[in-house]
Parts: sequence; structure tokens; C-alpha cells
Amino acid sequence: MSVIKVENITKVYTETAVPVHALNGVSFEIQEGEFTAIVGPSGCGKTTLLNILGGLDHPTSGRVELINTDITEMKDRDLIDFRLNNIGFVFQAYNLIPVLTSLENVEFIMLLQKVAKKERIERSMNLLEQMGIADKANQRPSKLSGGQQQRVAVARALASKPKFILADEPTANLDSVATSNLLDMMAVMNREEKVTFVFSTHDQRVIDKARRVITLEDGRVKSDEIRE
Amino acid sequence: MILKIAWKNVWRSRGRSLVVIGAIVVGIWALLFGTGFMNGFMVSYMADIINHDVSNLQIHNPEFKNDYDIKFYIPDGIKKAEEVRKWPGVRGATTRTIVNGMIASARNASGVQIRGIDVQNEAIVTQLDSLISEGAYFEGIKKNPVIIGEKLAEDLKVKLRSKIVLTFNDGNGDITAAAFRVVGIVKSSSLKINGLYVFVRQEDLLRILAIDNQVHEIAMVTGSRIDEELVVNKYNEKYPGDLAESWREIAPELAFMEEMYSQMLYILLVIIMTALVFGIVNTMLMAVLERMRELGMLMAIGMTKLRVFMMILVETIYMSIVGAPLGLFVGWLTIRYYQNAGVDLTEYSEGLAAFGYSSILYPYLEADAYIVVTIGVVITAFVGAIYPAWKAVKLNPVEALHKI
Repeated sequence: MSVIKVENITKVYTETAVPVHALNGVSFEIQEGEFTAIVGPSGCGKTTLLNILGGLDHPTSGRVELINTDITEMKDRDLIDFRLNNIGFVFQAYNLIPVLTSLENVEFIMLLQKVAKKERIERSMNLLEQMGIADKANQRPSKLSGGQQQRVAVARALASKPKFILADEPTANLDSVATSNLLDMMAVMNREEKVTFVFSTHDQRVIDKARRVITLEDGRVKSDEIRE
Repeated sequence: MILKIAWKNVWRSRGRSLVVIGAIVVGIWALLFGTGFMNGFMVSYMADIINHDVSNLQIHNPEFKNDYDIKFYIPDGIKKAEEVRKWPGVRGATTRTIVNGMIASARNASGVQIRGIDVQNEAIVTQLDSLISEGAYFEGIKKNPVIIGEKLAEDLKVKLRSKIVLTFNDGNGDITAAAFRVVGIVKSSSLKINGLYVFVRQEDLLRILAIDNQVHEIAMVTGSRIDEELVVNKYNEKYPGDLAESWREIAPELAFMEEMYSQMLYILLVIIMTALVFGIVNTMLMAVLERMRELGMLMAIGMTKLRVFMMILVETIYMSIVGAPLGLFVGWLTIRYYQNAGVDLTEYSEGLAAFGYSSILYPYLEADAYIVVTIGVVITAFVGAIYPAWKAVKLNPVEALHKI
């Protein structure tokens, strides 16, 4: 089943004196259960593409279909609901809520989904266990290492039972051990739980783990490599 | 959990939140004490004037106030006063024979209003006897005793037992004069009692005026819970030829003052709360701008704008909830303390006396003022939170996520 389908999308920023063509006719399709890295040099359009795939931004032209739903013209209000129930986000800077514990951070997204408290806590604890940080459940982010914070962020992304997870440079702030641990866990989630992951990255360690690598250059798809 | 996050966010920057809470406490305290202080001025001033001078209501011949001619007396005034004393709600009524004239001492002279009073009933209605600062209340001098105000005594340079001469037109229109001796000197915050009125016994004045039992004024004091208007209406219905008026009509400046001071709470409320709004807006705006990336993340993962708006609003309300009761309590405590101890303004007594104010002030605040202030604070908190909350929901998640 196709979870992401983009057809000839472009994105032009016109706020600058000279219009910037961030994306220029990008098309591809990602199937359920893929472990895909979108790579390319800085300024190639990775983040713009991820924002569009996440329903955070609209393309200037082209079509974006997520889980068989055309979101290209979807209103912002509907997109918020769509994101909440279908997309998990992992950010480069973790972006955890500093005043909440790890458990509460994971639980929070389910609260927005109006999941019952008992189920919220059970699922949050399970996810933290899967991420190997159950013992940090009651710690606030400031007490956690970067790797641990990013694992909480992944647990949060998984908590809403999304159809796919978008991770924007998830390992950019991590050391090699933390990166390796995080990628292993994501790979396990992908293999065993069939969670679809889409990364934007230029970290070779992530690229090496990916089973599909889409390379962007100057806003276009330069190559689309599927590895066995 | 939004409530929980909002509460925790309040304490994220403890110092800053404490400054806002402190501003709320000080603002409310200043508002309550300021209003109580102003009210204290008004209440003591008005109580002095009403209790010792104007009384709750007065009755005149309708022509008398235009001309102050002794021929405009109240027909059967003494009988009417006896009657109204028995009316429910009336605590006392006294009659006065009034004539304008001159007072002269060996050193000076001045225009005055000579008030021939019913000594016993005057004490009931205006407590004139309680204002005596020197001498006695018509005791000690048998022939033509007179009581004058402190300022008038000073102007005339007279003391107790000094002789003064009162000159006025008698009942026949002839100028007449009589010698009186100062039996007492009164001190009051009423400028009229202090410097304009001269009190003599009614029988002495009637005798010199050569008129019989003619009174020009009946002053009445009512029970504290009796509406003066009811008595006024009742009298005017029964005796349409006379004119009964409440203190509000007799002294419209007092009624205006009462009205003005009743607005004081609202004026101070607007001033202090406006200042508070700016403080709240500033703090909450800083809180929002500091958390742009976090707010961007919340909106990205699916938190609706309404929830973000509510979160910021609740944070502000929490600060008010902490600050407001504290401010109300401190304000109440201060007023309560000074209600008994009084605020000593003797340092400014001369200036205050010139305006008829007493130098010890007892702040006073009605219970409903606390309710008004509480509502005012809640509204202020809401108003102060709206702009930062609006700013938060206007954030573009994509841009906010990339803010450092």
C-alpha cells in the first residue's frame, strides 16, 4: 500500500528578491513498511520536501497524496487533524516539552487524540521499554542525554500509531554510539512493527541503514536507489 | 494535561513569573488601599457635614432659601417638628430660627448666619454639644449665651466669656443689635460651623426679633437604614406648602462628591489594571517568543490552535489566580488595620482642615469592592493574555520549528 505519493511537486519561495525554486518537479511513491532516506547536500530541498510530506507546508504546484488522501488543497484545520492521526514527527533538536517527564511527553500526543488515560500510560510505558529507556520515564528531558531524548522523541512519534514517521536529520546532534543505538531501534520497529520511516539526512550512518535512498539535487530527484 | 503543562510553564521562568505575580499583588493592594483611603476621606467628610450641619433632611418655607427673610417661616413649625419626631425612622427633629446678620467683637466684625436653636433637640440632631472644644454647651452664662466656631473666634479675636454684638433686622424690618457672651467654642471639619454660624438660644433670638415661635428650618435625623426620601415624600405630601429636602438636594456638592468617589474604584481600577495588562503582555510575550520552537512542534504534531491559545491563556490566569487572592488578602488586612488605627495625617492637618477634612483618616471599603476588584483582575488577566496567545497561534509551525 502506498503511504506517500508525490507527483511533480514544485515549491517556489517568492518572499526573497529573487524567487527560490526549492523543489522542481519531484515525483516518487513510498510504500508501507519502507525505510527510506532522502539525502542530498544542504539546500537541495530535503527539509522543504519533508515539510510538504508532513502537511506542514503546501507545494506551489503538483500533487501530494498521503494514505490515499489528497492533501494538496487540504485546509490547515483539517491538516492538523490529519497530521495528528497519521504522521509521526522526529525532529533534529528533539523538541520535547521540557516541563514534562519522558512518560508525559510520550503520553501527550495520545491525549490530543483523546485516548483513555489507562491506555495512554500503558502504551507510553511499552514504547519507552522498546526504546530501552523505561527507567527514565519520570525524568525530565533536561536530565537525559541527547540520544535518550531522541529515543523519547521516537517513542512520542510512535505513540499516536502513525501510518509513517518523518524524521528530519534525527541523528544530527548525536554521537556515533547514540546514532547507532537509535538507528538499530528504528530498524527493529520497521522490521517487526512494519513502521514506515522517512528520513531526511546527510549522515552516512543513516544512509547506510536505509533500504531506499532518494537523492535530491537542486530541488530535483537525482537518483532513487532501492537496496535489497 | 494542558492545564498541567500550563501550570508547569508558569514556573519555568520562576523569577519572571514571580515578578508578574508580585505586580498583581501590589496592583490589587494599591487599588484596594487607594480606594479605601479615598473612601475614608469621603465617608468622614460627609459624615461630619451630614451629622453636624446638614442633617439627613431639612424643612423650609419654599421662599426662605431664595431670600433668607425672616418673614418666610414654617407655619406651625414647632408643632410640625413635634409631630415628625414621632414618625417611624425619625431619630430626632429640631427647629431653628435663622437670621443673617453681623457679628462684631472689640477687634473685628464679620457677616454670619445667626441660628436660634432648640438647645436640647439640636444636641440630638447635630450633636452640636459634642463639637465644643472650649467652654460649655449653653451652660455657665445665663443671659444671651452664644456659641461660635473656632475660626470665627480666631478672626474676631475673642475668647470664652468675651462679649460680642450681633446686629440684624428684626421682625419689623428695623435694625437691631444685642450683646452676647461667648459660652462655647466649637471645632468642626464643617467650614460653615467653624466660620459662618453663630448659635444662640432660640428663645433669645425670638425675643430680640420680636416674633413669636417662628422657625425657619426643621432639621431631622433619621435611622441609618431609613431612606431619607421616604420621609421627605411623606412630609411633602402631608404639608405641600412647605419644602422638605434630603441632604442630597440641600448640599448637592456632597451628593456629587459621593457619586465621584463611588467612581474612584473604577477609575483606579482602570489605571492600575491598564498598567498590569502591559506587564502581563510583556511577560507572556517573552514566554511565547522563548518557546517558539516548542509551540511550533506542538502545532506540527497536531495540537490545534485553539488548544495552544487556551494554554497561553491558562498560564496567565494561573498567575492571576496565585496573585489575586494574595493581593486581596494583603489589601483587606491593610484596610482592616487602618480602619481601627487610622492613618495619621496630622502633619498635613492645616491643609486638610482648610478643605474641611479631618487629620485622622479611617480607610473604608465596601465588601462589593473586593468582588469588583476580583472581576477586574480576571478581565485584566484575560485581556493581557489575548495578544501573546494570539501571537502564539499565528506562528507558522515550519518557521517556528527552525527558530533557534
